Amino acid sequence: MDETPISRGFRSRRLEQTPKNRVPPGQHVTTDFPVLSAGPTPQIKVENWNFALQLGASLLGKWSWAEFEALPQTTIKTDIHCVTKWSKLDTTWQGVTFDDLLKTVGLGEPPTAYVMAHCDGGYTTNVPVADLVRGKGMIATRYEGLPIAPAHGGPARLLVPHLYFWKSAKWIHRLRFMERDQRGFWESLGYHNYGDPWKEERYDGD
Amino acid sequence: MSGSVQDLVLDGNAAAGLLQEIFVPEITNAEIECEVCGSTARVGALHLYAAEMGVVLRCTCCDGILMRAVHTVHGRWLEMKGTRCLRF
Amino acid sequence: MTAIETLARPAQRIAWQLAQVRGIAAETYRVKSLMLRVANWRGHLPGQHVDIRLTAADGYQAQRSYSIASPPEDEPLALTVERVDGGEVSPYLVDDLRAGDHFELRGPIGGYFVWTVATRGPLWVIAGGSGITPLMAMLRHRARRKLRAPALLLYSSRSLDDVIYREELGAMVRADPDLRVVHTLTREQPEGWVGHRGRIDKALLAEAGFPPGQNPCIYVCGATPFVEDVSRFLVELGHDPLTVKTERFGPSGG
Repeated sequence: MDETPISRGFRSRRLEQTPKNRVPPGQHVTTDFPVLSAGPTPQIKVENWNFALQLGASLLGKWSWAEFEALPQTTIKTDIHCVTKWSKLDTTWQGVTFDDLLKTVGLGEPPTAYVMAHCDGGYTTNVPVADLVRGKGMIATRYEGLPIAPAHGGPARLLVPHLYFWKSAKWIHRLRFMERDQRGFWESLGYHNYGDPWKEERYDGD
Repeated sequence: MSGSVQDLVLDGNAAAGLLQEIFVPEITNAEIECEVCGSTARVGALHLYAAEMGVVLRCTCCDGILMRAVHTVHGRWLEMKGTRCLRF
Repeated sequence: MTAIETLARPAQRIAWQLAQVRGIAAETYRVKSLMLRVANWRGHLPGQHVDIRLTAADGYQAQRSYSIASPPEDEPLALTVERVDGGEVSPYLVDDLRAGDHFELRGPIGGYFVWTVATRGPLWVIAGGSGITPLMAMLRHRARRKLRAPALLLYSSRSLDDVIYREELGAMVRADPDLRVVHTLTREQPEGWVGHRGRIDKALLAEAGFPPGQNPCIYVCGATPFVEDVSRFLVELGHDPLTVKTERFGPSGG
């Protein structure tokens, strides 16, 4: 067929009322919180949980759950945008910012330009450090004031809300600093390496 | 809306549309051997995750990833490093 | 080639083509069957599905899979769709679609979750809600071919009003002494209901079903939790897992 046939009367979700300037191109607003996972939900007990910052062969810092909870906590309200085209506005998250993690391990500057998030179940995603500093990224442990549900990435997930939500890796247990960028789970399989929703950077080649 | 990831799991039958763009012989009846644990199954019987983003097919015995595939406007990607062998 | 050999032809590369709605039939208050004309349709096997794609005027697209409800012997091609509240595609298909409308379709897809009369052994199909659809294609195919081998449908629905193809199944049973249909109603039962109540459990499977020694070919279809529970029970009852084929439809509609 030369052009895609239109199905009479099928309404685009994009026509639904959305606040201007808050919804990136191609997205529609949902009041649900859809769950999307690349594998079964890990059942992680907080007694067994720990989180580490890794540089090369060494750990810059490692925290048990109790230690992590004792770190400076930040609460943010933000919008999130999934590459599958739903956006959720005004979501509230609490956790430890990347800036505070660096401060806690005594680093004034991040040691490399990139990190890879490593998660229970094997999921990975790569993020430039520039997109985590200055409050742009955190390790979140609460959603809407309550512990994050396992299906949504609890006990802790990375939160980088200005990028497509596949970058906000669920069940994170380690951030590994990298000298050079490497592609994570979806980035190595056709998804965009960076993922700016405002430029609609969904797929590799966009 | 489901509260559980487990409820969202589909099976290889739902991956067939995307995979059939890549494989010419019918894929869901093909026998696939897991590289991690060595078990075999029909592709149609595997657990399918993340169907909205692509295909992530996992072994029903060890949950290892057997196959990943994505179809975007720029092309198709297929990764099968978790598959020891595929027999049609 | 005989008709069975035609059915067994290897799959060809599938491509998007246009499907036109010829007719629409209400099955229940939230389920409709769509009769479609697909110009280059080359036939299908019972149990296969199609992908459909809708495009809105602004180019927005949505894609879904639906099992083929009609047997290969029947024309036109039929899909049976349940309206999911808050869904994006099913309310359009059930409430808005009219005869003469069209959408894109590709298929038939699938070779694993398939049964034809060429397969030996008793046929046992187990349906949860709209999971009846591909199994109905199998039962209709069996009826068209007048197969004289035992078959059983175990069908779980919320209420009697939710039973899809109710009259047709009743007629099939009356016409065929080798076919049994066992209903269970999980949420609401009419007054005087003497059938089963509640979800399909191990006891019901053991009581109503073929024993493992009879080597039935078993097909289970419905929401993921339903399929996983039923398959687990079947294996616990001694059925060889390789004889149990499953098709998961995703989360339950609620």
